[in-house]
Amino acid sequence: MSTTGDSAQHISGAAENGNECADWQALLERIPYARHLGLEVQRGDAGVLVHLPCREALIGNFMLPALHGGVLGALIELTARVAAQSQDTETRCPRILDSHINYLRSAKARSTFARADIIRQGRRTSLVQVTCWQGEKSKPIASGQVQLLLPTMAAQQEDRHGH
Amino acid sequence: MAKPNRAQHSNAVATAWQFTEQVPHGRELGMQVVSVDQGQVCMRLTPQSWMFAQEDTKEICTSVLYSLADSAGGLAVFAGALELMPIATLDLRMDYLRPASGDQALLAVATCRHLTVEVAFIHCDILSEGNRELLATANATFMRNTQGQQFHAGGQGKERA
Repeated sequence: MSTTGDSAQHISGAAENGNECADWQALLERIPYARHLGLEVQRGDAGVLVHLPCREALIGNFMLPALHGGVLGALIELTARVAAQSQDTETRCPRILDSHINYLRSAKARSTFARADIIRQGRRTSLVQVTCWQGEKSKPIASGQVQLLLPTMAAQQEDRHGH
Repeated sequence: MAKPNRAQHSNAVATAWQFTEQVPHGRELGMQVVSVDQGQVCMRLTPQSWMFAQEDTKEICTSVLYSLADSAGGLAVFAGALELMPIATLDLRMDYLRPASGDQALLAVATCRHLTVEVAFIHCDILSEGNRELLATANATFMRNTQGQQFHAGGQGKERA
């Protein structure tokens, strides 16, 4: 059984933070939709962060205004994907199996940040918890859990030659 | 109890429909409302290459399906409730059953499963157009009557005075 002790393990220590930022950025840039959203990696106090800059096209409610719930969904899913991939020794491209997101506070039309905690990195799957905030880190606006499948070599080949 | 006013109800759904189509993020993704019927909503999205999950495949990023499910789910609350009131997504759970091909349009079919004064439970299926196989399913819970939000789409605002 794999447990991570008393709390979910933080992705990185401050020491290797720089390299990790570059790794994450490179992985994000390979995702067309992440590029479209303008996701960028930043160095935070406790590890790597993903920053979602605000722009009008991300609004889900123009009367408040508030970000679209799906935009936060994308920030959480893509942060989880990059976190899981960067932790994988073979940097396999993970497939997102499911995600469950709780909306905690209204998301204002401003910069949003996301932090990932790996709950479990297994041989075939990875479970990642992602927390999003805007102004104060202690007041998260959304948090989500994402299950990812790390494809085995056999399954990858089947994918390529199958459909 | 008074019978529901049909004209008013269809008005509410029409306003929610119009509101959904005005949402900037929905417009950017090209979401269209196809139909609204008895608590069920159908929405459509035409994929574009910037929505893909990787450079070398034509698979649509799961997060695009997520956005579509959230939007269709929100409209399904109004289709079920037949009245306008501010709502907010409380949580949403997606299961991605199959990769979504960028060659075909996505369809989302969202149903209002149960409605209380405070909460709406929504189920949404995502399919490729012309294909019966499910790509993804979603279950969402919406809060109804949330504060600090007002409806003004189509001049329908009731809290202007």
